[in-house]
Parts: sequence; structure tokens; C-alpha cells
Amino acid sequence: MAVRNIVKWRSGLLVLILLTWITVPAEAQSSRRNLEGMWSDPPPTAVGAFCAFACTDAGIDRLNALLDDPANDARPFEQLQAEAKTYEREYIRARLTPAALKTYPLDPADDPGFLRCEPWGLARQMFAPHQIEIRQRGNDRIELRYGEWDARRTIYMDDRKRPANQGPNRMGHSAGRWDGETLVVETSGIAANIAVWTDLNGTAEHSDQLRVTERYTRSKDGDTLLLTATMADPWSLREPVVMKKIWRWAPDQKITPYKDCERPTEFKRGVKR
Amino acid sequence: MKLLRAWLFVIPVLVLSVTGAFSHHAFSPVYDEKRLITVVGVVTQFRFVNPHAMMFMDVTDESSKVVKWTVEFAGRLNLSNVGWTADSIKSGERVTVTGNPTHTGSDRMFFRKLVRADGTELLPAGPQRLNAIEEERRQRALQRDQRK
Repeated sequence: MAVRNIVKWRSGLLVLILLTWITVPAEAQSSRRNLEGMWSDPPPTAVGAFCAFACTDAGIDRLNALLDDPANDARPFEQLQAEAKTYEREYIRARLTPAALKTYPLDPADDPGFLRCEPWGLARQMFAPHQIEIRQRGNDRIELRYGEWDARRTIYMDDRKRPANQGPNRMGHSAGRWDGETLVVETSGIAANIAVWTDLNGTAEHSDQLRVTERYTRSKDGDTLLLTATMADPWSLREPVVMKKIWRWAPDQKITPYKDCERPTEFKRGVKR
Repeated sequence: MKLLRAWLFVIPVLVLSVTGAFSHHAFSPVYDEKRLITVVGVVTQFRFVNPHAMMFMDVTDESSKVVKWTVEFAGRLNLSNVGWTADSIKSGERVTVTGNPTHTGSDRMFFRKLVRADGTELLPAGPQRLNAIEEERRQRALQRDQRK
């Protein structure tokens, strides 16, 4: 009797899975397969290195202009990259409100991730170096897992709203949808924290009014994943800012434990790079 | 401490980019990226962990006093990209390590290069990436010149 019940239960589950699969549009199934899996640090290219954290089109254009100028051929790449990052920091400065400019760029020595091993909020985590693993969980959500801090996010794909009694939190509430082959994620309810605009030397405070629209697209050759993120926060930004990031397809990589963060025993404030 | 400094070779260097190598927090509050130092000693422990791998070593100064040094690396995430494992450095090995000193001059550095007793070297991911980028730049310059 028990065996017959298990067979019936299994058959029912199989029918349920098949029905659910059939009801998901073919386009969405293709999109999921397109992005799912492990991605990691960008290819060792000039733009890949420049966007190791996050970058802007303005910064990339500046880098390319420096690389294309024959007068710079003998200069080390690191110098050109630093020059383009300085330009990018000023590009961001022009878009920050007086409130955010009071502390921009934040002193890295005051970073709570450094001082107290506090995991990052969304506005830094989404641009974290190293791995990002994308996994479909059932039909109503996608999980993003990051190598840095072993952080996890849930993207709800069923139009559910943020619960009214849920205040702002570190990762916010993310709702996703497919736009063709692109995964679009809208996030709000993010607690005030630190945003990374260029790298860890170009960070600024943001408020809990921050709203982020992420668009994840796989390249035609399948080797890279591109994130285009539009950041809007009336407290810290005069206008929305579009940030970019690149990952490389890395199916052989694994996310390893992240539990040995130590608080610094010595440091110096105000060191300029 | 003055005697110990005899074992150090302090070399001013160009500003080096450490973006990516030091990802969970900035490098600049702890280490001086404009200088390099070198110490010779015996490894007592190598921890292949996140966010930063760590190595501990005994360095004997000229007065035969053993000083405990700490060497901080990029994270396991970063090192494994260029083939490092937990066994890349073994306890008991005699090694020569070069890295960036701390601002305070404490017995600690950020890893740049390790040379084993047999002369083999261990390097971080940065130089490999930089070599690939410099090759990309050479190709780019070549194409630019051909267009003229």
C-alpha cells in the first residue's frame, strides 16, 4: 500500500513538473538556460581589467582614447588605467548631490567591510569581483550567489511585491522578468549603505531611496555576461547613473568558503592613491 | 628591530595597481604600494582561505632572534585562478618573499613574489593578466599603424 502511494505521489509530481514546464513560455526556458551557471572574473583584457569592479561608458571611452594615443604606447597599462579611473571618479563627482559630495570619495579606512568585516550591501555586492552563480529555483525565483562574501540574493519572477511590513534591508527586494534573452531585475527597499562607483577608492554613501535596474545579457559568442545597471537615488545622485560590469563563463569554478575575514590590527586613514 | 632591518631590502617601486587582487577592502589603508621589501625565513603555516590567504613565517635576524612575520595574499578566489592550491606553500619550506610593507613598518607585508630554495617562483595573478593586456596593446598599436 505504501509503495503504491509513493508511486502515485511520484506520478503526480511528474505530471505537475511537466505541466509547469509546458506552461513556461519557450522563450523564457531558453533565456534561463542562456544565463544559468557559473561566471567569474572578466577576460584579461584592458577593458576587463578596467571593469574588474564597475565601470561607466565614459570611463571606458577615456581608457580607449588613452590606449589609442601613440604618445602613451610606452606607458605601463596600470598608469593609463589609473588615469582613466581618476577621470571616471570626476565623472561620478559631477553627478553626485551636495549631500553625497560631503564624504565622496569615502576613505577606504572607514569602510565597515574593512573595519568590522560587515558584508556589503547590494550597491557594492552586485559589482563584486570573482564569481556570480545564477540558478533558477522553481518557476518563481532565480538565485544569485557571489564568491565575494558568499552572498546570496533572490530575484522573484512572479511579480510579487515587497511585503508592506518589510523595511529596507541589505539586498533589498528584487523583482525580475525576461526581456527576450535579457534578465531584467528591479530592486528597491535597499538600506542606506555604500555604493561602489569606480572601485574601492571611488565609493559614496547612498540612501534607502536607491532603486536599481539591472539588465543581464550573455554575449553572442556565449563567453561573457554583461551587466548594465541603472542606479537612481534622489538623495545621492542628481540623475540616474548607468554602470557596467563583465564576467567570463567559468563552468569549472566553485565558490569556496568565505569565513576567515579578520578585523585589521593596523591601518592608516587618508592615504591617497 | 634595527638588526632585523638588515635582512630587508627596501625597494621603491612605481605605483602598482592592485585592483582585483584586493577585492573585499582597499589595499591602501594597510600597505604602502610605493615600496617593496624582501625577507628570508621558514614557513610555519599557509592558510588558503577567503577573503585573503595568509602565510606565517619565522625570520631569524642577525642577532639570532626569531621574528614572526605575516604575509597577506589575495584571496583564495583570486589565487586559484592562476593554479594555486592549499599545497602551493608547505610548512618548513625556506622561502624568500617580496611584498609591500605596512605603513607602520610592522612585521607584515602584502605578497608580490615568493622564491623557494630550489629557485622556483610563485607569483600572484596580476603579472599574468598584465602580460596578456600588454600583448593586447601591442596588437592594437600594430593595427593602428597598419591603418595609417
